[in-house]
Amino acid sequence: MIFVGLAVGLVVGALPGLTATMAVAVLLPFTFALEPVPGMMLLVGVYGGALYAGSIPAILINTPGTPSAAATLIDGHPMARRGEAGQALSISVVASAVGGMLGAVMLALFAPRLADFALSFGPAEYFMLAVFALTIIASLSEGMLVKGLISGFLGLGIATIGVDPIQAYPRFSFGNPQLGAGIEFIAVLIGLFGVAEALTQFERLRGGASMGTTLGSFRLDLGRLRRLLPTTLGSTLLGFFVGVLPGTGGDIGSFVAYNEARRFARGEKKFGRGDPRGVAAAESANNASTAGALVPMLTLGIPGDSVSAILIGAITVHGLRPGPQLFTGSPDLVYGIFIGFFLAYAILLVLGLAGIRLWAQMMRVPTRFLWPTVLVLSVVGSYALRTSAFDVFVMLLAGVLGYFMLKGGYPLAPLVIGIIVGPIAETGFRRAMIISGGSYEWLLQPIPLVLLALTVASLALSLLRSRRSGGDV
Amino acid sequence: MNGEARNGGVLRLCALCCAMVLGAVLAACGGGGGAEEEFPSKQIEIIVPWDPGGGTDQTARQLASVAEETCGTNIIVSNQTGSTGAVGFQAAANAEPDGHTIGLATVEISMINHLGVAEVTPEDVRGVMQYNFDPAAISVGADTDYRSIDDLISAAESGQNIRVGTSGTGSIWHVAFAGMAQKAGVAENMTNVPFDGAAPAIQAVLGGQIEATSASGAEVRPQVESGDLRPLAVMADERLDILPDTPTLKEEGIDWTTGAWRGLVVPNDTPDDRVETLNRCFKEAYDSEQFRQFMEQNGFGMQYKPADEFEAFMDEEYERFGRIIESLDIRQQ
Repeated sequence: MIFVGLAVGLVVGALPGLTATMAVAVLLPFTFALEPVPGMMLLVGVYGGALYAGSIPAILINTPGTPSAAATLIDGHPMARRGEAGQALSISVVASAVGGMLGAVMLALFAPRLADFALSFGPAEYFMLAVFALTIIASLSEGMLVKGLISGFLGLGIATIGVDPIQAYPRFSFGNPQLGAGIEFIAVLIGLFGVAEALTQFERLRGGASMGTTLGSFRLDLGRLRRLLPTTLGSTLLGFFVGVLPGTGGDIGSFVAYNEARRFARGEKKFGRGDPRGVAAAESANNASTAGALVPMLTLGIPGDSVSAILIGAITVHGLRPGPQLFTGSPDLVYGIFIGFFLAYAILLVLGLAGIRLWAQMMRVPTRFLWPTVLVLSVVGSYALRTSAFDVFVMLLAGVLGYFMLKGGYPLAPLVIGIIVGPIAETGFRRAMIISGGSYEWLLQPIPLVLLALTVASLALSLLRSRRSGGDV
Repeated sequence: MNGEARNGGVLRLCALCCAMVLGAVLAACGGGGGAEEEFPSKQIEIIVPWDPGGGTDQTARQLASVAEETCGTNIIVSNQTGSTGAVGFQAAANAEPDGHTIGLATVEISMINHLGVAEVTPEDVRGVMQYNFDPAAISVGADTDYRSIDDLISAAESGQNIRVGTSGTGSIWHVAFAGMAQKAGVAENMTNVPFDGAAPAIQAVLGGQIEATSASGAEVRPQVESGDLRPLAVMADERLDILPDTPTLKEEGIDWTTGAWRGLVVPNDTPDDRVETLNRCFKEAYDSEQFRQFMEQNGFGMQYKPADEFEAFMDEEYERFGRIIESLDIRQQ
């Protein structure tokens, strides 16, 4: 079951536009016929497989297969471009598996105790967490702070299109119901990276230059693994805890972990230019976050992300109810999930390492065939999201935007962070204000205060580094 | 004379033609009437205005799978989503009125016109039957001092701000508690805190950030059973099977019932006999063991209303929501 799930997940994850949520939703009815434990194993396998596989196109063609892989490409693709695609792919498999397996262990050991941690996060805490996450923009754009900020604000702006999440008023919809329904984030992601990269490659092709086609060695030597270990462990921990908070998943987890890995790493200058630690950080964090997302689902009956929301459905259909009583009522299912999760990532390690040579063949495809295929896949993928031609239009527009941003030297990652984090910050702030009846006293509560201090420290550090390195601030 | 005769002949010919055409039309109609016993003569489509996999979609698919047998034809479910259900409601209203296209109407059809979201109202469709009602339940954290709905209302009366988490501004759960607060005369001191669904609202109650949540009984059941949430009242005429110890608002002296409901509708001009046929075979599906079991397992409340009652009910709801929504001042633009 795990094997079938993983295989499905790998395919779905590697194709931009098809998400883990969709695959799990489609497979859900099949699990009704199965016993609860194998059914859950199938779905957990899909989940894990899809999250890992999102990094494959991120590394090879600079297009994240799933939103969680958006942080992976920052260093993964430069590595591939440098002729180290094999290394990047291997690191991604190993880091994903380590993140997932350790996540499963933490889930088994601490799940009931973490329920309180998840509950202590109210709107005020979410707002400050989101603000802290936004400081990543500053550190990602060291040396080009202004361009980074413009990109970040563009992302925040795009996220405000649609029905406002608090008062249900349409914003920037101009009377158009499709704009009113909001911009599909994944369509933007596909366009921003896939299409923009394709356009850039076409241009390069006409100029005669071509990307290196060497894949480099797939074998990871022990020394490198040892050097990556601290980053991987730290990122796993961070990803897991971000995942525990309902409503935040692998996409935010991987960016936060990436940023911290970079902050604490020696020689942080290499980050963004193909540092293996960047790949390890992002991948271990986003896979660990899936284990984290199961914590509130199993302990409180509250889904941690969209996939675990569907998993709740898979459990209830068997007459079981997620929540604390699941641990006492049907421990076999709970421990089945723990073990299944662990096994899924163990098998993923084997399957992934065996498969990377296969994925890497993508690089052998001549540029003039590869990129048109990427374009076609981008169109199909964005149409499949909501079977809407509007999303294809949004995707193409995002592609053109991405192309010009790349030309102008504007970093794309801040825009992605803006889109992901903006709504969390806005709804958190507005809810906190409603709850406090208009006063700002919530800022002085312990968790928001700590997050505020971290935010200030993080900004100060970025500014200091920019100044020291003599970059234009 | 001759010309006249010829004219008369032409006229007669015309009359004959007309008669023949009329006859043919009548025959066709008769044929249609004759085929009435055979209705449905082809596949039936149910238009669900919400996403696949959601509660409404699940109940519709379950009902459809049983009704394929009781109605004797293939039934497909198509999801036409968008604009708080308006896209699907409108599609059902505009469909061919031959009974082969059924719309799935949810409580939102009586709300969205007032909210300024879309034009469509219950006037645009004809009721076939109601099959579900999930009343709102007001719940608080189990570790709070609110032991009854009275405690909560008294706290609001004494000037304390009671913050109630709902699945969004203008959602049925918002309107449900706001209507209750109006009836109890404490509208000023009950604040809606909109979340992205019932789950995060429940989380905020458990985390102690807000006092209460207004959601369906099924949505709070897991936390009620685990002892984390305390349901104070349900807004129904009778107690809920899934929350047997929770009194109704009426028992507590507040005459207010509301919640989410679901039913089947057809375009306005659908003939009476077809509505009857559909009502009969879908009622049979509603009564089946399979459907009953599904509804119970997933905590959906079963409530049946025949065609004319459902039609009248949708209109009443439309009137009622109009008044509340106006007083809440949440209409767009």
